[in-house]
Amino acid sequence: MKRLCLSAPLLVALLAGCGQTEAPAGVQGDPERGRIALAQHACRACHMIPGVTGSEVYVGRSLDDLGERPYIAGKLPNTQANLVRWIRAPQSVDPHTAMPAMGVSDREALDMSAYLLTLKK
Amino acid sequence: MPSNRQRLILKTIAATLAVTGLAGAAIGGIVLRAGWYDITAISSHWQPVYTLLESGMHYSVRHYARDVVVPTLGEAQQLQRGAALYAANCAQCHGGPGFAQSPIGQSMQPVPGPLIDADKRWAPRELYWITRKGIKMSGMPAWEYHMSEADTWAVVAFMQKLPAMSSRDYAAATNTATNTATPVAAPMAEDAP
Repeated sequence: MKRLCLSAPLLVALLAGCGQTEAPAGVQGDPERGRIALAQHACRACHMIPGVTGSEVYVGRSLDDLGERPYIAGKLPNTQANLVRWIRAPQSVDPHTAMPAMGVSDREALDMSAYLLTLKK
Repeated sequence: MPSNRQRLILKTIAATLAVTGLAGAAIGGIVLRAGWYDITAISSHWQPVYTLLESGMHYSVRHYARDVVVPTLGEAQQLQRGAALYAANCAQCHGGPGFAQSPIGQSMQPVPGPLIDADKRWAPRELYWITRKGIKMSGMPAWEYHMSEADTWAVVAFMQKLPAMSSRDYAAATNTATNTATPVAAPMAEDAP
């Protein structure tokens, strides 16, 4: 079932939440709140995120495999703490990044990262 | 003259369609009247519905914008004016390179797309059309009665430059331009017919 969900983006959208609301081991935060927060902070405007409705867009990279990427922004090891830092203050990691700071609170960034870390191809 | 058997088949088909249609309408009516549809901006559209509505929007814009005549775009003064207008009227919902939308723009449903890639999605005449006429039920307002035609083209011209801009370029373009250009609240310039 999990394989089916992940292999068909449409199904992921249909069954949003299927097997995806459980945070991976050692990850803090609420993935389901994070999924909504990602929509409410317009992350989906530039990034494609499985489980969040939106257009086909390539301004930021697709986050569909964030849970298994070794690095964030090409430099930070992909830990939850680093992901939270990147989401809240991208310029503190890369001063020239086009990704703006969206005014995300610590709690929301934690929930967002909890959701993003569940995403695997 | 159809045989009795054929007539029976046709009647059965017609009756089935009518009953199914009525049942569908009744169910739809009940769902509507009971208020079960979640109208909140927290719940997104179902992706297939979103995609369908979006492609309809694309086809409509392409159709209606087909005869728009595009003037010469990209003169320095026009770009400067376009940058100021963009910063004052567009960036609050669409953002820019390194520039975040306001909370209103972030939380709109559907979310206003980035315009950094607008030149890849739309021809200049279509960007003009969308800006001029707006998009119903999306939150995109029609600027026709609030922005002169020349200013609309200036915004379109600026959008052609956005994809190649870094956050630093964008900040420089919008800051310097904002300081020198007339604010948008000023009365609209008269358009040449």
